[in-house]
Amino acid sequence: MNCTGYASGVVPYLSEIQHRRVIEPNGNEVGKLADIAVVPHGQFPAAQWAIISTPSGEKVLRWGDLAQEIGHLRLRNRLETTPDAQLPPDALRLARDLLDKQIVDTHGAKVVRVNDLQLSEVDGQLRLVGADVGLRGLLRRVGAEGVAERVARLAGRRLPRGIIPWHLVETLEPANDTPAKTAAVRLTIPHTKLALLHPADIADIVEEMTADERIAVFQQLDLETAAEALQEVEPEMQAAIVSDLPEERAADILEEMDPDEAADLLQDLPEERREELVELMEKEEAKDVEELLTHSEDSAGGIMTTDFVALPRELTAAQAIDELRARKPDPQLTYYLYVVDGDGKLEGVLSLRDLVVASPETKVSEIMDPNVLKVDAETPKEEVAALIAKYDLLAMPVVDARKMLLGTVTVDDVVEIMLPRGWKKRSLRSIAR
Amino acid sequence: MGPGIITGFAGNDAGGVATYTAVGAHYGFQMLWLLLLSTAGLLVVQEMCARMGAVTGKGLSDLIRERFGVRWTIVAMLALLIANGSNIVAEYAGIAASLELFHVERIVSVPIAAVLIWVLVVFFSYRIVERALFVLVLAYIAYPITAFIVGPPWGDVVHDTLIPTLPIEQAALIAALALVGTTITPYMQFYIQASVVDKGIDKEQYRFERVDVLLGAILTGLNGFFIVVVAGAVLHPAGVHVDSAADAARALLPLAGQQAQLLFGVGLFGASLLAATIMPLSTSYAICEAFGWESGISKNFREAPVFMGLFTLLVVVGALIVLSPSVPLIPVILVSQNVNGLLLPIVLVFILMLAGDRRIMGEHTNGRFSQMVGIGTAVGASVLSIALVAITILGSAP
Repeated sequence: MNCTGYASGVVPYLSEIQHRRVIEPNGNEVGKLADIAVVPHGQFPAAQWAIISTPSGEKVLRWGDLAQEIGHLRLRNRLETTPDAQLPPDALRLARDLLDKQIVDTHGAKVVRVNDLQLSEVDGQLRLVGADVGLRGLLRRVGAEGVAERVARLAGRRLPRGIIPWHLVETLEPANDTPAKTAAVRLTIPHTKLALLHPADIADIVEEMTADERIAVFQQLDLETAAEALQEVEPEMQAAIVSDLPEERAADILEEMDPDEAADLLQDLPEERREELVELMEKEEAKDVEELLTHSEDSAGGIMTTDFVALPRELTAAQAIDELRARKPDPQLTYYLYVVDGDGKLEGVLSLRDLVVASPETKVSEIMDPNVLKVDAETPKEEVAALIAKYDLLAMPVVDARKMLLGTVTVDDVVEIMLPRGWKKRSLRSIAR
Repeated sequence: MGPGIITGFAGNDAGGVATYTAVGAHYGFQMLWLLLLSTAGLLVVQEMCARMGAVTGKGLSDLIRERFGVRWTIVAMLALLIANGSNIVAEYAGIAASLELFHVERIVSVPIAAVLIWVLVVFFSYRIVERALFVLVLAYIAYPITAFIVGPPWGDVVHDTLIPTLPIEQAALIAALALVGTTITPYMQFYIQASVVDKGIDKEQYRFERVDVLLGAILTGLNGFFIVVVAGAVLHPAGVHVDSAADAARALLPLAGQQAQLLFGVGLFGASLLAATIMPLSTSYAICEAFGWESGISKNFREAPVFMGLFTLLVVVGALIVLSPSVPLIPVILVSQNVNGLLLPIVLVFILMLAGDRRIMGEHTNGRFSQMVGIGTAVGASVLSIALVAITILGSAP
């Protein structure tokens, strides 16, 4: 494509090239450019097909059969002698399938709308290079970009560009088996890119999606990321997602979640569904979760996690460190190490520091602090939060009537209770749109 | 409570009470047939929007943008902005009018209400307001009770509900269009679809949602019916012209006697404050979603400038317009419902094209019946609008 028809430095947009006249070599107009199709593989997919609207309907041609000239597109041969092309099933029509749809901006980690698509000549091929999600794109669509730019310049400002490079945006396969959905291509970044985001960002993005898209995302993320992201999603939506996922997948994700979070989630489900899922979970995780389910959601037992580090009292410091090395507990479980007797009764607490600075042969029962603050499982969660805040703790052990260690409430479990109301993220989408 | 019933409640706002009362007072039972038709139209259109929400998982403004592109989205969003903007003015007029019954000047009540709403929504949760105000709105139960105490000529009521009559004059057309506009507001269609999406109701659960939609529309219709009947039986024979909340409150005299103003005032205040809280929010959400602007009340002005700006602007402008002491409150409310009626056909056309699009709706595309009733509603509202505009222009010509 030697003659591009664009002055150098001028970036063409889909909105500028769409609806251009298509003429035959002799200048005879045969129709207008309706759409451009690409196969969305690679970083910047090349324009491969042109969809021309002619008086006798739409015609699909290969992009190479057209040459771009100023103000119009010229067919290399007469229309009758140009062979019709077939769009493969995975082809994307830019105007129909991308324009005006929502996409995820992986850089800003938010959902935005495609106002225009940026095209560019790369190595002699017209390629899709970016999604315009800014005000310029909107203005261009209504033919007001030039005017707005002049007004902005009078005010001594420039209109900001809002373009997301295409390699940060891709298509997601339509959600599983729904044939009606294949028509409407669902857009988002692929799971690989989504997985690189922070789980809290993934949760924010997922909350903006439609139910089908959500399910597709949770089907494709790896289990660990899926579990972490699900924990960050708002409670009502958590329940909806778990209800819609295939049972096996839901159970797998629940296993990966912190037991207390999993229990909270299960509590919001109908009893039947809850039992099915617990049934499908691995024995050990299921046991933890079932135990948590017996406590009220508003008590220490309801918000605690059953993951904690309990060291038998007769271990030496060196043995305890070996034990930790072998178990590799999550960071929030190593704030405090609990010492228990042979029956699992809580005897004391020590910190990682205490353990490391002690001489290797000392028994943990000698370095522990036997005066350990604890609550029982029925303590209201507000009270636990107040205690944690008052004593500046990172976690609080939960025991039963016989002083058996049941679990711990960590500071991240109660931080929402301690924050003022206005801080909590609220779901207001119901009054939306 | 499901989205349908909540939408029905939200629809009984200041515009509803004022319009139904005025229609009953000025025309007796004469326009009940139009209310019946409007309710049928409302039912069918609400069902379409709820169905679209369940099938696509997207809000109405999302669908309009994705199907029709930027230009048409601007048309639709302008229509929504103007309709909802006029509703917000009406809600503040309702707040002012109801508190004037308790001798609170609007120069005091309106700014306080506006600040209160803004602070509540931005720093707390509007849901608290929603629950509290639903209780106040229950004051509407006074209308059916009054209707049975007064005992209107039921034969006439039934006759006028079934036999259409309409005087072709400007005042009557204004009343008729306001009646249609307040029963089927553009706002309710966006609201119900968003609620369905938000509740995660899908195709399978939609069967149950249908019942909720049906109940919500019937609730709206019945509420309107009883207000018109009471006003028609109490105010119309007395020749009362409804210019103020005090006039409107007289409809409840047979039930509450001296307390009529209290009862009416509480109901109107609750309904107006509720709608004045929800309406600016829902408008900002709809518009920002259509254009892909950041939205969400937990964000600040820097993160979501358009959303927060639009929300604040609607609250401030709505309140400012009502603040001027020369603005007659009840007429302002009636005019706002006319604006809704005038813009309704635009929104209906978008809804009908979307719900009738097989590419979007698949096997849940509008059936012939829904499409016919929907078109009928759009045509009916358009004819009223055009007739009103024509008669106004011809009437004012020398």
